[in-house]
This record gives sequence, C-alpha cells and structure tokens, in this order.
Amino acid sequence: MTTYVIRRLLYAVLTFFGITVATFALIHSVPGDPISFFAGRAGISTLPPEIADAVRREFHLDKPLPVQYAYWLRGAVTMDFGTSILDRRPVRTRILEKLPATFQLNFVAFLLAALIGIPIGLWSANRSGRLSERASAVGFFLLYSLPSFWVALLLMQWLAVKLDVLPLFGMASNDYLEMTPAQQLADRMRHMVLPVLTLTYAQLAIFARFTKSAATEVIRQDFITAARAKGVSNRAVLWHHAFRNALMPLITLLGITIPYLLSGSVIVEQIFQWDGIGLLYYDAILSRDYPTVMGLTVVTAVMTLLAGLFADVLYAVADPRVRLGESA
Amino acid sequence: MKRDSLSAPTWQRFRRSKLASFALAYVVFMALLAVLAPLLANRKPLLERTANGWSSPALADYWLDDPDLDRPPSAATFTLAAPVAYSPNTIDLGGRLTAPSRQHFLGTDDLGRDILARMIHGARLSLAVGFLATLIALVVGSFLGAIAGYYGGAADWIVSRTIEIVLCFPFLFLVLGIVALFKPSMGTLMIALGLTSWTSEARYVRGEFLRIRELEFAQAARASGARDGRIIFRHLLPNALAPVIVSSSFGVAAAILTESALSFLGLGVPLPTASWGSILAGAKEHIDYAWWLVLFPGLAIFTTVAAFNIVGERLRDALDPRSD
Repeated sequence: MTTYVIRRLLYAVLTFFGITVATFALIHSVPGDPISFFAGRAGISTLPPEIADAVRREFHLDKPLPVQYAYWLRGAVTMDFGTSILDRRPVRTRILEKLPATFQLNFVAFLLAALIGIPIGLWSANRSGRLSERASAVGFFLLYSLPSFWVALLLMQWLAVKLDVLPLFGMASNDYLEMTPAQQLADRMRHMVLPVLTLTYAQLAIFARFTKSAATEVIRQDFITAARAKGVSNRAVLWHHAFRNALMPLITLLGITIPYLLSGSVIVEQIFQWDGIGLLYYDAILSRDYPTVMGLTVVTAVMTLLAGLFADVLYAVADPRVRLGESA
Repeated sequence: MKRDSLSAPTWQRFRRSKLASFALAYVVFMALLAVLAPLLANRKPLLERTANGWSSPALADYWLDDPDLDRPPSAATFTLAAPVAYSPNTIDLGGRLTAPSRQHFLGTDDLGRDILARMIHGARLSLAVGFLATLIALVVGSFLGAIAGYYGGAADWIVSRTIEIVLCFPFLFLVLGIVALFKPSMGTLMIALGLTSWTSEARYVRGEFLRIRELEFAQAARASGARDGRIIFRHLLPNALAPVIVSSSFGVAAAILTESALSFLGLGVPLPTASWGSILAGAKEHIDYAWWLVLFPGLAIFTTVAAFNIVGERLRDALDPRSD
C-alpha cells in the first residue's frame, strides 16, 4: 500500500514537471515578440531600444529558453505565475478570487448529476436488454451529444425570454446590494439555475452510462448469481451487493470528470457571463494575457492531476487487489 | 474504409440495428452535403448558356475560398440556378433577420445572409475539420501506441507518461489556447484538435499490440527475418486497427462538437466563413425573437454529433462478439 502510494506520488511529481514543460513550450512557440506586441497594444509604435532591452532584462527574456523556464518554474511550484499584463495584479490572486464561483456551479451540477444519474444507471443495469432500458440508453446517448452552448441558448430563449421567470445572464441582479440577505440568497440561486442546468444534463448522461456498465459487469459475476439463488430480493441484490462493487469504477470517474467540468465551464461561464475561471481564461486568451493563460493552464492541469491522484489512492484503499500490490 | 476493414459478419451485425443504419445514412447524407456544398448553395448558376457556349459558373469556383466575389453580369440565354440560389456570404441588408419563408427556407441572419446556404457550407467546414482532425489523431495515436506496445520498456514508459500529461489538461483549455494564440484558421484548428485527442487511439493500439505481438503470426514474421518496421506496420497494425476505427467515429463527433464550440466562442475559423457554431453565436444578440437562428444550426450540430456517436457505439458492439 505505502509503496504503491509513494510510487504514485513520484509519478505525480513527474507529471507536474511535464505539465509545466508542455505549458511553457506551448506559449513560447507562439510566433511574435511579446514586447513589440504589447507596445503595439499600448499604442506605442516605436519603442526605444534601450527601454525594450530593459523590459527584456526585467522579465529575463534576454536569457536562453531553459533559463527562462527555470525562472518561471521557480514561481510555478508555489503557484506564483507573476502579474497579469491586464491589471498588474498577481495571477495567483486573480485565479483564487474566481475559483469559488466556478466551484459553486460545478459542485451543484456534479451533485445533481450523481444523485439522478447513478440510480438511473443501476435501474437500467437491472433491466438490461428490455425495451424501456434500451430506449433510455438511446435517450442518454442523445443527451450526451447535445451541444451545451445550444442547450444554454434554448434555455435562455424559453425560461429567460419567453416565460421571463429567470435572469438571462450574470451572477446577481443590479439591485443586489439593496436586498435583504434572504433576498440576496434567492437572487443568487435564481441566477444559478440556467448555468447549472446546462452543466448537469451531459454529466448526468455520463454518470448513468458509467454506472450502468459498471453494474452490468458486476451483475454478471458469480456472487450475484449466488445471492439471487439464496433468495435475496432483486432490490437488495442491486443495492446491497451490486451497488457497492459498482462504486469502485465510479471513483475513477471522479478523477476523469474534473477536466471535463473545467472545459464545460469555459463555455457556460462565457454564455452566462458567470465570473469564474472559465471566463477568466477566455478573457485572458482574447487579450493575450500570457501570465494568466499560463497560470490557469497549469492550475487546471494540476487540479486534474490531484483529482486523479486522489481517485487512485482512494481506489487503493478500497480495493485489496490494488492495495496488496500486483496490478497497479 | 469502414466496410473494407470490417469483416462481413460485423457489417451484418451492424445493420441489425435500425437506429444505427439510419445514423450511418445520415452521416453519408451530411458528407454529400459537405462535398457538394458549392453546387447546392450558390448565387451563381449551375449551368448557363452564353454567346461562348455552355458553362458552369458554380462548378468553376469549387475550390475557391470565397465564391462570392462579384462577377460581371453575363448575357446568358439559359440559366439553371443552384437549388439554393444564395452563396453563404451573399449580404442583403434589405432582408435582414427575416423568418423562414419561401425565399429563405431557414430565414436570414442580421446581414441578410441565407441561413440554409450558410448551413450547407457550414457542413463542409464541420465535416472537413472533424474527419481531418481525427485522421491526424489516428496517425499520431497509432504510431505512438504501436511503438509503445511493440517495444515496451523505455519507449512504453515515455509514451505512457506523455499520455498522462496530455490528459491532465482540460481539453477545451488546450485547444482554445492553441487555436487563439496561433493564427485561428481551419488548418490550426485541425492540428490543435488532432494533437490533443490522439491519446485514446494510442491507448487502444498499445493495448492491442501488447496482446498480439507474441501471437504466432508475429513470431513467424520475426523468425523470417522481417525488420521491426515491417512487422509493426505490415503485420501488426492492420490487426490492431479495429478498435481504433470505433474510437475514431467518436473522435469525429467530439471534433465536430469542439469546432462548433470554438466557433460559437468566436475563436474558431475566422468570419465570414460559415460555421454552425458562428451562426449560433450570432443568434445570441437576437435571442428575443430570431428563433430560427437558434433552432436550425443547433439541430444540425446535435444530429450530426449524435449520428457519429451512434455509429461508433454500434460499431463497438458489432465488433465485440460477446454482445448480441
């Protein structure tokens, strides 16, 4: 167990370096000189060479690439990515202040998707092959293929414009500050409904499919047949025997969904103008705010890495076959 | 390609599903739209007769990027118009934002451009990006997977670690970053999608190679003195491709979805090139009444992505002898 976890940790450290190298290499292969680009943006057509050189020295741009990487990495290990080109504030602060908004949306969506998707998955595993199950499988497949930005627009059109029961976009109403705390809470929740709905449906389909295939695999095994033969009721077999074992692959799903959720956040936050890291990334890309782009790329990749690590360790704790070592 | 590389029983199993057969037919229909787009939606006539004889102005600029440049009016004695008599970029400021009508079956956008024409040409973009990006992923993934699976050891270790690193990045962050920071164009889009989505292909091929590299036919090839390259590409790879083809059908679906998402965010192929995603992006400002701008392009993305996913799903089942 300990050796497994240690080896997994070493790999994670290695992957972290891979992430930083990939991010650094990617950004530095973008054509164009950053200094003349920003001089141009600031409306300075001819930058005096001595000032350009001074800026170059300040940001270590005069050093060879590996040295530049080393400077950047020294900050990156402590999540210090320098200051944003847009407002000169530390990238770390900008990311940290936007994270809660993104977390808020995704946490609710994740919970909803799990609470609805897992029971449906179990239900369909139990009815494998029947018409109702096959119809629902096709239904989930279609759900999974629905583009989220389209669903968002349809929801906006229907609930925010036609019925006018929910706000079109944003995180709070204009008169938010004049509300009582209870009204503020209600206002925030009303603003959350559309983005959460948009984030939930696709995940729900993934949860249902994943649970179904995991449970189907379990149901085929001998100990389920034995339980059935012993006279255990269908419901008890499903919840008591099959569900607990089907939970194992779900742990893996935990690690897989993080990058998926973050990708979805870019789209959803941009449509609904939800002030989280997805929108921050989008704006950073548009304004070529390289420190923020690099910082967010590393931070999101590290979040995925940690989720995967957490899932693997959890798996090892739960499954003696992994814990005792031979298959890792 | 699919039919050749799949055995006849697989194909029969595939056809047993009506839904999948329908989805495949729909994919073929979309591919035809894409290939024939300049002939289906074009302001210039398909066929005309002038003093110089017969000609086909629509066909003449089949490969042109913007087939909408003005041309001098010709004194034609006979013309046969294209089924949709508008080019994707024909601007008509008098007919802005009109609802579907007999002149414009799917309505017009805020520049008076015909939505049906833009959607037909959008199919061309989406499918081209979908297929070519998947092809890049297939080539890169198969190559790296084959090397990893065949040689094992250090090669396998390096490829596996690389896959782990790539999978850590949220897919859209990576594609968005590459496309926007480099020059947004169809080529950049394809390469960005291809280079970020080869991991599942690599894993499949690696797994298959681990399974088949010690089988008798591989040993026979080795015993007869074949070089590694020949064993990998001539003997092993053809036998490892089946699961990859399945995953490539899902890959096309994912690539089409991502392409339209990027175009929706305004970071895909630059305007005025017609794309399903960019029509939807234009719908955002007129969401209070221009329902046709929301409905039709979204439906096109959804049905096409679903069709590719259904075909992939059915192929996977059909290839797996345990199912059915």
